[in-house]
Amino acid sequence: MSDSQTIISIGREYGSGGHAIAEELSKRLGLKLYDHNILDEVAREKGVDPETLRKYDEKPHKLFLSRSAKGYHSSVEINVAYMQFDYLKKKAEKGESFIVVGRCAEGIFEGNPALISIFILGNRETKCKRIMELYHLSEQDALEKMRRHDEYRKRYHNNFCEDKWGDSRTYDICINSSLKGIDATADILETYIRARMDEPARN
Amino acid sequence: MVAKVLALIIFLVMFLLIVTEKIERQYVTLGCGAIMLIVVFGICMRSPQAILNTLNFHSIFTPDFWHATAEGGEATAGINWSTIIFIAGMMIMVEGMGKAGFFRWLCLKLAKMVNYKPVPIFVVFMLMAAFLSMFIDSITVILFLAAVTVELCQLLKCNPIPMILSEVFCANLGGSATMCGDPPNIIIGTSLHYAFIDFLTNTGVIAGISLIAAVIYFYLCFHKELSKSTGAKPEHYPDPSEAITDKKLFGLSIAIFAVAVVLLITHANTGLTVAFIGVFVAVLTLIVHHSDIPDLLKKVDYKTLLFFIGLFVVVGGLEQTGVLVLIADGISYICGSNAKLVIAVILWISAIASAFVDNIPFAATMLPVIQTLSQLQGIDLSILAWTLSMGTDIGGSATPIGASANVVGISVASREGYPIGWGKYCKYCAPATIMVVLISMVCIYVRYF
Repeated sequence: MSDSQTIISIGREYGSGGHAIAEELSKRLGLKLYDHNILDEVAREKGVDPETLRKYDEKPHKLFLSRSAKGYHSSVEINVAYMQFDYLKKKAEKGESFIVVGRCAEGIFEGNPALISIFILGNRETKCKRIMELYHLSEQDALEKMRRHDEYRKRYHNNFCEDKWGDSRTYDICINSSLKGIDATADILETYIRARMDEPARN
Repeated sequence: MVAKVLALIIFLVMFLLIVTEKIERQYVTLGCGAIMLIVVFGICMRSPQAILNTLNFHSIFTPDFWHATAEGGEATAGINWSTIIFIAGMMIMVEGMGKAGFFRWLCLKLAKMVNYKPVPIFVVFMLMAAFLSMFIDSITVILFLAAVTVELCQLLKCNPIPMILSEVFCANLGGSATMCGDPPNIIIGTSLHYAFIDFLTNTGVIAGISLIAAVIYFYLCFHKELSKSTGAKPEHYPDPSEAITDKKLFGLSIAIFAVAVVLLITHANTGLTVAFIGVFVAVLTLIVHHSDIPDLLKKVDYKTLLFFIGLFVVVGGLEQTGVLVLIADGISYICGSNAKLVIAVILWISAIASAFVDNIPFAATMLPVIQTLSQLQGIDLSILAWTLSMGTDIGGSATPIGASANVVGISVASREGYPIGWGKYCKYCAPATIMVVLISMVCIYVRYF
């Protein structure tokens, strides 16, 4: 892997604007952004319909309804996750620099000197307000959606990674996007990432 | 009484931990086995003899372990070393065959023989899955077959899911036909001293009839979908000969496989036990692949072998404390003196349980139960054995988690972009399983009553 390679993993709470921040950073840093579009690319490569895969994206597997045998797993959610991990690993092996939203990227690339891992969180009220505006939901529905998605993300992440989702020790930097807003948070992260990218050597 | 309760608790904890998969299953069975030996046999029963009986090391050093002098010896208890040694030997043989390119070559050869037409490929792959699974573990069969199926279907622009579902089902069915086809059969055969030919002429006949029905069933389910996709005519098809990594090794691997088949079919006459056959084919494979010995030995699935060892100890604990006699008494009480009802209960309970839990611990647990039932009810033990075998082998086909072959097939398909969820799997395989269990029940009633 070349020294100039940068892999940015962005974990996020639902409603924190993590994805919007990742998009902004992608534009500013000129790095390719990988999110649910990985499945589109995987589906195109394999000649299958991406819609059939999307419903299993970043979903935890059902404990008593799946099992493994010799390293294989009956859970479609787990297999779809591995497809994405393999895809990202191939990109990394080719020396590509990119940003990944979710998908256990900080776990997949753990120990890789090119990795910069970020977690974006937010205040409950701010996240809820954002979800209500984005999806035109009532407060109760927005809170329920937040709870459900964060629960999915946590279970999904913790199934594949040793380090825990949202635990500050898992990431290089954790930031609360509610305090300064999406653009300002992107500014802070851009400064941090550029500082890391300028480092002569990362160990 | 305390020993019985503790043995049952250890067993239930083991089952729960296996299902949750939080801890690797070999550690679960070995850990529970160790607790069974120390707490139940050592502390509660204060019986060093029970520990020795369960560990069963002495059996390996008897001549009968390698060459049976008399037919139908006493049923063995505790760790079934014959099963473990046989499976280890077959693993080495199968690894050698895979390394030489045998499985991929066979799949591509058959596809070429039917001119790469989806519907004929669909039918011959079902038959091949059933045939190979009679001698080789169905996980290996499906691993190669599903990969080639996806590759061919991508070329032919057809959906591989119907083929993979049918192949998985037929592989499980083929496994029920012989003593070495599925681990429950190996456990039943080696514990009760049945021969390969005994299985072939009993479960094999039922499996054969069921296979015809299954092929017709899956054909009716999928032929329209597969017929639609015959338009694609790729410029280049994979050449079977490209699958062969080394012609000499390939030829020798096939020869070793043929030797294994002949030895298994004739072992009732020759007296050679399955443990001997396992060691023999493993040694032959290692001689042939002498430059790859470390690699072949490294690829043996030690985790599965350790899982078996721990499992036999835990089940041995249930057996020695008399818990399984209580289960047999319960079945006997429910069924009264109605032998047909006993058969139906064993068959359906085995099938339903195997659809949701690993059929290996289930079969190992039920084996002492059917032995007790045979004594209590005066039913021929072999009939109960064939019933248990069909129930555990076939039941696993009903759900995605019922058998390892299902898991492998689903995983290979899903990772190639063809997800198979519970709904899709059960829609086709659950009715087929019910059909085959019914066929098995009718066959057993007609033939043995």
